[in-house]
Amino acid sequence: MFLSRSLHEPLSATTSSSLSSMASHHHQNGDSTVTTTHSPPSKKLKPTPITPSELLAEFSHHQPSTARINNGSFGSCPASIISAQRNYQLQYLEQPDDFYFNRLKPSILKTRSIIKDLINADHVDEISVVDNATTAAAIVLQHITWSFFESKFDKGDTAVMLHYAYGAVKKSVQAYVTRAGGEVIEVKLPFPLKSNDEIITEFKKALEKGKSNGRKIRLAVIDHVTSMPCVVIPVKELVKICRDEGVDRIFVDAAHAIGCTEVDMQDIGADFYTSNLHKWFFCPPSVAFLYCRKTDKVADLHHPVVSHEYGNGLAVESAWIGTRDYSAQLVLPEVMDFLSRFEGGIDGIRKRNHERVVEMGEMLAEAWGTHLGSPPEMCASLAMVGMPACLGISSDSDALKLRTHLRECFGVEVPIYYRAPNDGEFNPITGYARISHQVYNTTEDYYKFRDAVNKLVNDAFTCTLLSD
Amino acid sequence: MATQRNQNSSFITEPQLREEFAHHQPLVARINNGSFGSCPASIIAAQRRWQLKFLQQPDDFFVNHLQSRILHSRTLIKHLINADDVDEVSIVDNATTAAAIVLQHVGWAFAEGRFQKGDAVVMLHCAFQAVKKSIEAYVTRAGGSVVVVHLPFPLSSTEEIVVAFRKGLARGKANGSKVRLAIIDHITSMPCVVIPVRELVRICREEGVDQVFVDAAHAIGSVHVDVKDIVADFYVSNLHKWFFCPPSVAFLHCQKSPVMPDLHHPVVSHEYGNGLAIESAWIGTRDYSSQLVVPEVLDFIDRFEGGIEGIRKRNHGAVVQMAEMLAKAWGTNLGSPPDMCPSMAMVGLPASLGISSDADASKLRTHLRDHFGVEVPLHYQAPKENEIEAENGDRDSLITGYARISHQVYNTVDDYRKFRDAINQLVQDMIKVLQRMGCRPINKTHKGQNHEGGVKIDSSKAVGKDFGAWPVFLLARLLPERVTGVVTLGVPYSPPSPNT
Repeated sequence: MFLSRSLHEPLSATTSSSLSSMASHHHQNGDSTVTTTHSPPSKKLKPTPITPSELLAEFSHHQPSTARINNGSFGSCPASIISAQRNYQLQYLEQPDDFYFNRLKPSILKTRSIIKDLINADHVDEISVVDNATTAAAIVLQHITWSFFESKFDKGDTAVMLHYAYGAVKKSVQAYVTRAGGEVIEVKLPFPLKSNDEIITEFKKALEKGKSNGRKIRLAVIDHVTSMPCVVIPVKELVKICRDEGVDRIFVDAAHAIGCTEVDMQDIGADFYTSNLHKWFFCPPSVAFLYCRKTDKVADLHHPVVSHEYGNGLAVESAWIGTRDYSAQLVLPEVMDFLSRFEGGIDGIRKRNHERVVEMGEMLAEAWGTHLGSPPEMCASLAMVGMPACLGISSDSDALKLRTHLRECFGVEVPIYYRAPNDGEFNPITGYARISHQVYNTTEDYYKFRDAVNKLVNDAFTCTLLSD
Repeated sequence: MATQRNQNSSFITEPQLREEFAHHQPLVARINNGSFGSCPASIIAAQRRWQLKFLQQPDDFFVNHLQSRILHSRTLIKHLINADDVDEVSIVDNATTAAAIVLQHVGWAFAEGRFQKGDAVVMLHCAFQAVKKSIEAYVTRAGGSVVVVHLPFPLSSTEEIVVAFRKGLARGKANGSKVRLAIIDHITSMPCVVIPVRELVRICREEGVDQVFVDAAHAIGSVHVDVKDIVADFYVSNLHKWFFCPPSVAFLHCQKSPVMPDLHHPVVSHEYGNGLAIESAWIGTRDYSSQLVVPEVLDFIDRFEGGIEGIRKRNHGAVVQMAEMLAKAWGTNLGSPPDMCPSMAMVGLPASLGISSDADASKLRTHLRDHFGVEVPLHYQAPKENEIEAENGDRDSLITGYARISHQVYNTVDDYRKFRDAINQLVQDMIKVLQRMGCRPINKTHKGQNHEGGVKIDSSKAVGKDFGAWPVFLLARLLPERVTGVVTLGVPYSPPSPNT
């Protein structure tokens, strides 16, 4: 059926006896003699196109009663990849010393090589594997802290970021930049958006501010795909503007990007670029890459969890940060096999996701008499759909409560964004749902959401009815 | 989940115990629980249930389950270690992460002028390498100085440690530096001994050390842990080493103090500023499942007589017994008295193996893994000048290699016999090699004990293959007048370490 290993077992039930039987399978296959190869012992079959029933089986562990239209938050992972991951976990548990000395590093290097090719980087040294974009942000920003303390930067030098930057990144900027004496300039973006020009205009304004009074802009933090509200940012253009304006370094937070938009390091041209592989690239939780462009200016980046490899380069440091489970970082070869079973591979997947999410977004907007938050070309595999104004979403808290209500009473999982209305807006749309589309989604998921909201509207529901 | 002790007497049976660890590679004598720990099958199964729960509906898991389960784990740990308040207990990946948290805090203090350039951090010479690097990254780089305290090894008593520590600390303060932080291992890694932390913490307080961080990576499940008794400012231990948790999970205990709000997890996320424990409970999307199985682990431990106390006492008894068996078989000794051994012991390796550098120890370790199916870390201990004199300049009798053997519930006597026999085999192989060079076997005495296995050579060419190359190189360097030529197969020549 799948590219199954001899250790494949249904995800639904694991007992202690099945673990040891998996282990004995392993021994019978002579795995104890496998030395340096990363891949578990199994014949490499030519990938067969995935059938609808196989696809269903790959995601059969998803809760069937939930319309799961929020792939953007936590991603998703097919059963065969989970199985591959468990294989690595088991190899470690069987003989951890052997795994550590003989298998771990080559496996991580293989992962880095695959990523390098995926994102069109020049050299594998430029690719580090870390837990998630949050960790990548800490790495880049801690470097900024040291630059302030080692007097490479002056107090008051600025960092520019989007107002819609991810909450965790904003905190990291506070923890590492503001605390070290840097000043932070936020780029206010309008929402809803009509075009890239709106973003570019605001960005240029922010850069002006950042350079005012003779200050230097030391860092620009730019999202590739913002989280909430979700739009695709024209990063290539913004990076160019940064270069023209003499911004020291550019960090693109592309948590969503890989598997969801085109990702090409030569094309985008940033200094640092991070993306999560567990969101749209079918990896288990959690694994991300941080790309650091090789330049003449040596950027002295370090993983904040310092271990034996300190000083050997970020990629090597990140590959050992103490005893832990690195298995999520090792399954990229299996993921590439999985992707090859889809027409057009990852490019085919993301194009179809994009088309479907726009189609579903427009279906919902029409059903509710609302609109999309941005034009389709600014949507990736996610779209912001206006929610009926009569629902009375009037705060972040309302949005969260409505989301909970949809989860608990309607079995719909979708994040909702509150947008404060502008002065003078008549009957404003203040709530937008961020719908995602991934290969496991069906039209029924979105009909379920449509009908839930219609019911709320028909029942004259407002958020004031929701308790705290 | 039951948190009270199991009252009935149906303890885990032998077959059940074997099944719990049936996933361990059967061909390997796994006597290195200290490095990576171990996890029973029923705990792995429990972990997978949590992993599945996340995969099934991650939003629901995140919103409704994760934080309450982490709090539950923290509460159980609080009871385990006799902490006062659950706020004092944070869960992190491992001791390495905890060290980064504490040391980054020190780095900020230098950068923000609360500490002055040159203020010192004290560490033991045998501190874990990752911690040494962390000190370099956060203290030295920020302008702090580092005082290194050497502890003797081998040891005959805890008094030697106390004396050495006092001296080292005094020397460090001699130039008037203020000591901002002392990092003390509860159980050193290599060489492995139990440190009298309570006393050393007291000495630190007497000597005006600002804060004390106890790196107790090995401690929980292996020695008694009572944070109110030890009274350090920071105390970290890994739960995946000796406490049956899956990789990886550790707790960092922080005494309530004015500096507590300034401790931060270096991976900053939404909860920044809400206290270290809350920050650490969310550092971005990842798999937190290993942190959630503490209740199941306590249930597992309850199935053993005496619970964790019983386990660690029996481990200690067994590892000492096995160490003494090995020392007797090899004509060597333990590196410390039994009461300074936790669930691990340092056993001297026969001098005739000629371990003369860290590289030698590492190669022998690999050789034991690859050719004998024995997994055990080895430590190279450079001999001191007075030791060499005591042996009348005869370096060949000095013990320069120690094996760190561990004992956990899954180990059997056969594991140690396998190791014993492997070393005996290697020694015999070496004797044969040297005999063929024209050697005459002699009875050497080592510390008054007659022990066969010494050799005396006239002169000859020496041929060494793989690991056999090392003693051959050593021989050629030490006794050039006896070796007319060297042939090496498989290993390029490299000179023995200058310490030899």
